[in-house]
Amino acid sequence: MNRLFAKKSFIIHIASFLLLPAIITCPLFAQGKSAPAASEAGNLLYIDKCGHCHGIEGAGDGDAAENLLPRPRDFTSGLYKIRSTESGNLPTDQDLFEVISNGMPGSSMPAWKGLLSEDERWSLVAQIKTYFDGFEEASRRVIDLSGKIPYSEESVAKGKTFYAELGCVECHGVLGRGDGTSAPDLTDESGFRSWPANMEHSWNFRGGSATEEIFKRFIGGIAGSPMPAFVSSFRLGLTDAESARIIALEDQDEMTEEEEAEYTQLEEKAYEYEDIMLRIEEGEEITHEEQNKLDEAMKPIFEKSWHLANYVKSLGREGRPPAAVGDKVLRSQYFVGDLPGLNDAAWSEIKEASYFPLVGQVVIEPRQFNPSIDSVTAKSYYNDNEAAFLFEWDDRTKTLPQADDETGETVEDAIAIQFPVKVPKSPSDPKPYFIWGGRRPVYLWHWKVSEPNKITEMNAKGIDKATVQASQSQMQVEGVYEDGRYRLWVKRALKTDDRNDLKFEPETFIPIAFSAWDGANGDVKTKRAISTWYSFVLDPVPSNKRFVYPPVVALISAGLLFGLRKSVRNREKLNQ
Amino acid sequence: MPKLSLFTKCVILFAAVWLFLEFFIGGVWSVPLPASVIGMYLGLILVAILVHVSVEDDRFREFLRPIKETLADDKRRTRCTVLFVLVPLVMLVFTFSKVSTKAEAPASVRIAHPAPPDELTYGDKVIGPIQEVENPFRHLEKDDKDAFRAHAENGRRVYYQNCFYCHGDDLDGEGHFAHGLNPLPANFQDPGIIPNFQESFFFWRISKGGPGLPPSATPWDSAMPVWEDYLTEEEIWDVIIFLSEYTGYKPRTFGEAAH
Ligand code: HEC
Ligand code: HEC
Ligand code: HEC
Repeated sequence: MNRLFAKKSFIIHIASFLLLPAIITCPLFAQGKSAPAASEAGNLLYIDKCGHCHGIEGAGDGDAAENLLPRPRDFTSGLYKIRSTESGNLPTDQDLFEVISNGMPGSSMPAWKGLLSEDERWSLVAQIKTYFDGFEEASRRVIDLSGKIPYSEESVAKGKTFYAELGCVECHGVLGRGDGTSAPDLTDESGFRSWPANMEHSWNFRGGSATEEIFKRFIGGIAGSPMPAFVSSFRLGLTDAESARIIALEDQDEMTEEEEAEYTQLEEKAYEYEDIMLRIEEGEEITHEEQNKLDEAMKPIFEKSWHLANYVKSLGREGRPPAAVGDKVLRSQYFVGDLPGLNDAAWSEIKEASYFPLVGQVVIEPRQFNPSIDSVTAKSYYNDNEAAFLFEWDDRTKTLPQADDETGETVEDAIAIQFPVKVPKSPSDPKPYFIWGGRRPVYLWHWKVSEPNKITEMNAKGIDKATVQASQSQMQVEGVYEDGRYRLWVKRALKTDDRNDLKFEPETFIPIAFSAWDGANGDVKTKRAISTWYSFVLDPVPSNKRFVYPPVVALISAGLLFGLRKSVRNREKLNQ
Repeated sequence: MPKLSLFTKCVILFAAVWLFLEFFIGGVWSVPLPASVIGMYLGLILVAILVHVSVEDDRFREFLRPIKETLADDKRRTRCTVLFVLVPLVMLVFTFSKVSTKAEAPASVRIAHPAPPDELTYGDKVIGPIQEVENPFRHLEKDDKDAFRAHAENGRRVYYQNCFYCHGDDLDGEGHFAHGLNPLPANFQDPGIIPNFQESFFFWRISKGGPGLPPSATPWDSAMPVWEDYLTEEEIWDVIIFLSEYTGYKPRTFGEAAH
């Protein structure tokens, strides 16, 4: 078989992929309301509330669009990410209504539920549909969710194996943090950079993190993004291994004679199903048996998708964690003995790390409007002499120093942990400006990936006015990158000799803030993700007082009651 | 229904105030008060109750009656026993929770709308006394409606190119960066903001940003940028017009401010 032939059958296959979903979505018709007819009121509302992002004419080119990634949707493209319909189709009216109501988390698309009435949102659905011609004759069939497999450990385990087998790893990484080998090179249909989702930060899923939604994204695909529709990894009538093999063979430029033989054999096996599908495409009737046969062949694919959805669900959490857990404080716990090292199990005893959200630095030019690092977490222990910290943040790429594609500047991954030089004594005491100080200086620990076992101590009086301290204190540092996550371990003496350093004293609240750079996102100097001020404190050394004081107080109060009773009784007797 | 004794009424009042501070303000309004503040209010209420019941001898006796009865009256034996179990138990739990909670982070006190400086400036240029400067394009609202529209439209452009990341699409302070900021970006839909200040006040806030605030407003915490570095004077006046046109709130004028 020559190459041309292989290509030709490849095209047939592509056609059949597109058809595949047409059958797996049993003829269930869209539920929910349909939009009213487009109206002038809807148009005006659209211009007022949506036009500055999506453009007055719906082309995704509003005033705000330039600084946004992902870009606001170009409604004239007819591509929609959040659909309950099969791959290659338009969303239902209900889908559009939901996405307008709930927004798209992890992007700048706001939720309009609380801001616009239901009728107003429906009028916008109608308006949006006017920008693209295909809605009239669009299929209204939706993906069948009735076969949902309930969440269980077993299902999650199955999903995990499919996750590895189906190539999700390539983009989403081994642990799902969006750090796969293909991740740095992905672009959407308009050529803008597109990052694979970080499954652990599932609060950023555009369509929400409900299992059904995740399932719909697999089956329907995420149109316009590089994420493939899951069904394209299967051939009906073939086993998984055979499907993978035939797809691999098609991707080859040349085939040996044995490979061609193998290919022909596999094709013949799959032919029966392809034939049925082609006939469906040509509008021919198929028999009941044929339909059953297809349904039967499709079942395992649906099952796999549910297991996979359960697995993805298991990686995430409900909602964004609250900032710096509890009261916006990183608490260092007293530790008896030597402080734990980077990989010590003692770290996992701190159940929930303090979470610090990061946002783009959009105050000082050049600004970062689309940060790729969305948070840092931290844990800390201390003993009588030292404090140890474990900082962790997710970054989809490990970027060693390299020239940035756009600016030519040398970029690399880095983080800075910021404290004031002078700790405020009371809440009304001034702090330094939260972006690297100003008139009042800050004290910084600057770490970069090219020197993973070193922290440079700096002082800064402004974002571009940082100086390296002349005398660097002895700090033990270990930084590693694993599966899309940086883990930085730092140990420092509680007190150092340098007066520009900070002393850590128990029960003193010390302001703390973060800056993080992702080299692959073009972060350098002022372009970075930042946090505002939070607090760091060494919690008091635990003592036994909580077992001593309460009983004593209880006894005293009982005693007082007795005394009172006695005196009242005596008085009453006297009175009588 | 039996008439409540004075003592019961006082207990109910005290409990109601505590519940209100702890759960209504903290929970429903979600502005948790620091324990010290709650303690202060409760102390005040206690003093007020004691003053109230002790100003008249009769009332004081009436107040103490149930306590005396419980302690001394043999008919109230069970009530007395309950009291003897309950009080030490409550004290036990209370002290335990007190000594095991960790120190709270110092609550930052911040004046959100401090008094502006006397003089309005843009960069080094002095515009005039802040009380008297008016938006130079405001008069167009009456004189030339189309020109006024154009300024509002330009303000819209300025807003959506620069401000909505923080202040939100709908000007409600809920931009996609707001969750990472403290203090939160101003919510212009809040009726307590635009109608309460003159346009020159907003010009000052926008041109000088967070760093231009006086210390009482914690300038070191505010992420509000210094917009005179990016925007022209006209753009700042235009965005102020847009803020008021979009929300429908009119800023104060000089005349009103003088009242
Ligand atoms: C701040 C800018 C902004 C505003 C204002 C905005 N959007 Fe969006 N919208 C976006 C972005 C960005 C996306 C694309 C997100 C993505 O691709 O992940 C989007 C996507 C959408 C989508 C596509 C959903 C899908 O399934 O792909 C619809 C529909 C939509 N917006 C409707 C609206 C409507 C209606 C309004 C006005 C009420 C509106 N948007 C206002 C930024 C905005
Ligand atoms: C070619 C790279 C690529 C592959 C392979 C891939 N994905 Fe994705 N995935 C993406 C990208 C890019 C996005 C972000 C889409 C967007 O722009 O919203 C994404 C988004 C997602 C989301 C989030 C959906 C949402 O609502 O935001 C889930 C869940 C997901 N992928 C799961 C998977 C699973 C499971 C597999 C394997 C079957 C897989 N992906 C394979 C690139 C890929
Ligand atoms: C990086 C986030 C950010 C951006 C961008 C931003 N602001 Fe702000 N803004 C804030 C924060 C936070 C506050 C509240 C703290 C303060 O008062 O400084 C604030 C406060 C204000 C206030 C004071 C309101 C009051 O109640 O006194 C005005 C007016 C204002 N912003 C206007 C604007 C305008 C106009 C723009 C765009 C040109 C803008 N902001 C852009 C973060 C931002």
